[in-house]
Amino acid sequence: MNNRLKVLRAERDWSQQDLAERLAVSRQSVNAIETGRYDPSLPLAFRIADLFGLTIEQIFINPAKETDQ
Amino acid sequence: MNKHSQAGRRYLRRFYPTMTAYVVALIGANWAINAWHPSGAALVALAILPALPIIAVIGVMGLYLVEETDEYVRQRAVTAMMVGLAVMLSIATAWGFLEEGGVLPHVPAYWAFIVWCAAWGLAQCVRGLVERFTRDAA
Repeated sequence: MNNRLKVLRAERDWSQQDLAERLAVSRQSVNAIETGRYDPSLPLAFRIADLFGLTIEQIFINPAKETDQ
Repeated sequence: MNKHSQAGRRYLRRFYPTMTAYVVALIGANWAINAWHPSGAALVALAILPALPIIAVIGVMGLYLVEETDEYVRQRAVTAMMVGLAVMLSIATAWGFLEEGGVLPHVPAYWAFIVWCAAWGLAQCVRGLVERFTRDAA
């Protein structure tokens, strides 16, 4: 699933490792989510959203809406 | 598998002693069977002995999957295990028919676990390499 994670991370000058530590997951997880190879579970998606102070929809792009565009 | 996660470290702490027990059981059982030539229940008990730590290792692997809290790492390990299972079942099936046709010799069934582990490890390595390249590309 496409997302804005890399941009949000870059805005805060965090490395993948920094973000991984803040989310209590591995760096590989952050990499897989950023590159769209892995869709996080709802609990992890909420943790990510809470960390950036955004909603899930503001970070992860709804694939249905993506095809409409 | 993530060797740096708590679950990964616990896995290794359980894995090494269990495999040490396997080596001891294998050498001990072989020695005892050759030295004493037991029969009946004693032979069964000695012959099954090396299998018990291997069964325990399978349990240790299952525990790792239960205890791993990183959902992506867990999914990656399960996928690699499934690839290992597919390779093992394919080889076992092909081997069985080739053996029946007189092309290949008989091999002990415990090779199934060895083939599974090797294929699982290989699948995990390939996944790791793919990740390394996609991280650089990201």
